[in-house]
Amino acid sequence: MNSRFYLSLLLISSLVLIAFVGIAFNREFTPEWKWYQTEYKDFLVKNAKDESTRQRAERIEIGMQQIYLKSLKKSDRCVSCHMGVENPLMADAEQPFRQHSGNYLENHPIAKFGCTACHNGQGRAMNRREAHGKEHTHWDFPIIPTKYIHSSCAQCHDNEMLKQEGGEKVARGEELFREKGCKGCHKHNGKGGDLGKDITGIGSKPFAYFPMKHVVGDHHLYNWIKQHFDDPREIVPESDMRAFLTEEEAELLTTYMLTFKVEQMPRNYTLIKNIIFPKTDGESLYKMYCIACHADGKVSLYDEIFERTIPAIGNPAFTKSIDDRHLREIIKEGRPGTQMTAWNKNAAGLSDEEIDEIIKYITRERPAGKPRVFGFTGFKADKKRGEELYKVRCALCHGDDGKGGKRRLGISLRLKNVNPEFLSITVRDGRAGTPMVPFGKEGVGLGDQDIADMVAYVRTLSKSKKK
Amino acid sequence: MKNSNDIQNESPSGLAKYKDNLLSLKSSFLGSFLRSGMPTSDKSRTAVVVNNFFLHLHGAKTHINTLRPSFTLGLGIISFSLLVIAFISGGFLMVYYSPAIETAYNNIKDINFVVFGGRLMRNVHKWSGEAMIIFVLLHMARVVYTNSYKRGREFNWVIGVILLIVTFVVNLTGYMLPWDQLSYWALVIVANIAAAPKELTDIFGITQYFDIGGDTKKILLGGTEPGQDSLTRVYLLHIIVLPLAICTALGVHFWRIRKDGGLSKPDAIKSTGNGVVNITPAQKTGGIFPTHKTYGLMELAKGRTPAVDNDVENTVTSWPHLFIAEIAIFILTLAAVIAYSYFVDAPLKELANPMIPENPAKAPWYFLGLQELVSYSAFMGGQGLPGLAIAGLLMIPYLDREQEDIGIWFSNRQGKMIALESFVVSAITVIGSLAFVINFGWFRNWWPNIHQLWIIAINPGNLLLGFVVAYSLWVIKRTDSTRMGAISLFTMFLVSYVILTYTGTVLRGPNWEFYWSASQWPIH
Repeated sequence: MNSRFYLSLLLISSLVLIAFVGIAFNREFTPEWKWYQTEYKDFLVKNAKDESTRQRAERIEIGMQQIYLKSLKKSDRCVSCHMGVENPLMADAEQPFRQHSGNYLENHPIAKFGCTACHNGQGRAMNRREAHGKEHTHWDFPIIPTKYIHSSCAQCHDNEMLKQEGGEKVARGEELFREKGCKGCHKHNGKGGDLGKDITGIGSKPFAYFPMKHVVGDHHLYNWIKQHFDDPREIVPESDMRAFLTEEEAELLTTYMLTFKVEQMPRNYTLIKNIIFPKTDGESLYKMYCIACHADGKVSLYDEIFERTIPAIGNPAFTKSIDDRHLREIIKEGRPGTQMTAWNKNAAGLSDEEIDEIIKYITRERPAGKPRVFGFTGFKADKKRGEELYKVRCALCHGDDGKGGKRRLGISLRLKNVNPEFLSITVRDGRAGTPMVPFGKEGVGLGDQDIADMVAYVRTLSKSKKK
Repeated sequence: MKNSNDIQNESPSGLAKYKDNLLSLKSSFLGSFLRSGMPTSDKSRTAVVVNNFFLHLHGAKTHINTLRPSFTLGLGIISFSLLVIAFISGGFLMVYYSPAIETAYNNIKDINFVVFGGRLMRNVHKWSGEAMIIFVLLHMARVVYTNSYKRGREFNWVIGVILLIVTFVVNLTGYMLPWDQLSYWALVIVANIAAAPKELTDIFGITQYFDIGGDTKKILLGGTEPGQDSLTRVYLLHIIVLPLAICTALGVHFWRIRKDGGLSKPDAIKSTGNGVVNITPAQKTGGIFPTHKTYGLMELAKGRTPAVDNDVENTVTSWPHLFIAEIAIFILTLAAVIAYSYFVDAPLKELANPMIPENPAKAPWYFLGLQELVSYSAFMGGQGLPGLAIAGLLMIPYLDREQEDIGIWFSNRQGKMIALESFVVSAITVIGSLAFVINFGWFRNWWPNIHQLWIIAINPGNLLLGFVVAYSLWVIKRTDSTRMGAISLFTMFLVSYVILTYTGTVLRGPNWEFYWSASQWPIH
């Protein structure tokens, strides 16, 4: 009647059940943090200098510790293991007992700031793996590596203060950010180019936002940013980013990137003494927005990543032949078909004054005097003939379609609203310092009529269908 | 107390009565609890069952076939045990959980990290719930293959199917409560499946007058996007509506088993000569009851009653035989769930973030077969095909009414062959059609501008369903037996569900593209 079967089943199951309830209870009663707390207590008792300290140490109760921060909506339980964080005796102890380095805690009482406000990590977790939140813990903000920790200071402090008082890495990162031309391609707070991704709030973007496949080591935000600076295409194969940074610069910039956060600290936490607005003179602006592609602008250079030649915009021959109005139009509207962004207020977000400052900077070495007038409108240009001439004279560098591009020395000629007078003068006089030689009488020896024909043909290129 | 001798012949004093009562507290309490004390005779064993609220749902006597482990495999009891475990652990979790999107995720974290035994309880709740799906399906398979949905049990099968559906939905709603990325994006997917009829109404251009899909989605979510209202709704479904539905349906389910004569059992079990008890139906020669006839209890109860002339010789008292078996299986289930929960943690991903879609965004695993079908056509995969499949399951006992070979696994040799054949045929067909779709795509890949109606009408899911129905009809024609058709149909349903679920769970990666394993996924 199977009773024996069921009885033995009952017996075995009960034993298994009791065993597992037992080990489950055991696991609950002996969590990781209890070991640490016991060790800490024993250490204090053993090293007590006098009787009263020893007694005080013995009175330490083993139990979960938590700092509850209402206004930050945080429950930081880190101190359950890091018990010696405020204890000067533990200055040289091993983690997790070591005292907090520096004098940071003097001005940042742990009861007000907790831990994760600066260090990130998962404050609620009660075991090391998940509290530090590094690998496969489904926690978006793992503990910040010490080399980037200054980024947290910028949540509450201004740059000037950071520069002087222990946050110099952020301050230097900020300088680099302005000098390396990051915003030439990346928008930040609505300002900047659009070749790259918007970096607003990148420091608080969840893990899943970043393609982590090629990141070496822990797959978290910090490694992603740093390694992306080291070699953008190693991390994002289709990236066009130009980054030429030393190891130190990459780390400083990473630190600064991490300060771009969406959430703001509550008012009573922040301490902004003097906000110094970033300089808006031409040179600073040029560095911030232009330098990444145009470098110093003296020579045109072929760019392997963009697969095109980048014009030499500071070249005296160029600034001489182009007037400010034309230059302003190019900067404002960009060069469609190339990487050049439209920089007007509604696109990349530069104000008219800022663009003027940049133009002033670009044209600072403009030679005196105007180029000899060409008088394009006076010629009766023959586009057909211009095409034949173009094929012979120009196509080698600028390409049959005038796009310039891959492995070509010339820049794109498919430009809308281009001033024919300016084009003609450039063809006639060439552009010193670049491969563009003068095609006029003094150079290759073409007549003005030939040049006018060619220019007329070039103007049709932008209207012809894109190939 | 000195006077006690003097008044012995008179009625005892109040204090003496009090003292006596106090001393006999144990036996009087146990007596009131067990009513007749520990049973010692068959009569008192019967009394225990009849007098106890929890036991009286059982018969006082149980047929020995019912107790044979190889007949039921205990699957129904396992399912019920899992439900009890889920209820208890769920009550525990409710203490720490509040259904607000600001706190829900942190509550789960706290349950995991600081509540004593919280992580284990959460795991137990999660795994017992999901195991219910598996065991309810297995229980159904047992009922089908042992031909146990007949002789009055037809409607109980219907209740069983309803319980299956509720099991699915209660699991799903639970999946959404932690409010992590898994919850959020599963909710999005489910809401979109609820909105699937839009695909149809769009085609007929009546969406603006009659948007049943969109309205269902709005009712489910309490808006157009998942948010606090959705969580409230899902929570109420999970803790009140669906548990009540389960308890009600389960009560009826159990009650009907009892009214329908207990578990089904063979009319006879043939001896195999290997020490198996040879049980033959009672050969009655005398008495007032004619042979092989069952009786209703006069006019009060129609249909079959459990024990009238029904193999009474082969029954044993339920106490202790049946109860030992039930308790053994409950403890086994509990031990297994706790052991599994000890080692495997219930998943919990990052906090829900509407800005970051999971890729692939997947429903919980038990719905991934459906999601695979949804990838062909939202309406057919999400509602049409599952609806038809459920309708088909519901109709099994009404379309197969052959009353022979009840309570025997696969009915007979032919049944075994048909089950095996259907298993192989459906496995080949499902894998084949999946391989075809994965390699060659479907209409939309071949003719990008094709009208959606064509895809709704003709897609791999529909063809598969058509094939399953056609094949089981062919089985009926070939074997002249609707029973064989039922075996074939259910086998193919089960095989399709398992293979499609496996495909959706393991073989589908980002953008629902095919990968042999998650390690080949392009990102992360």
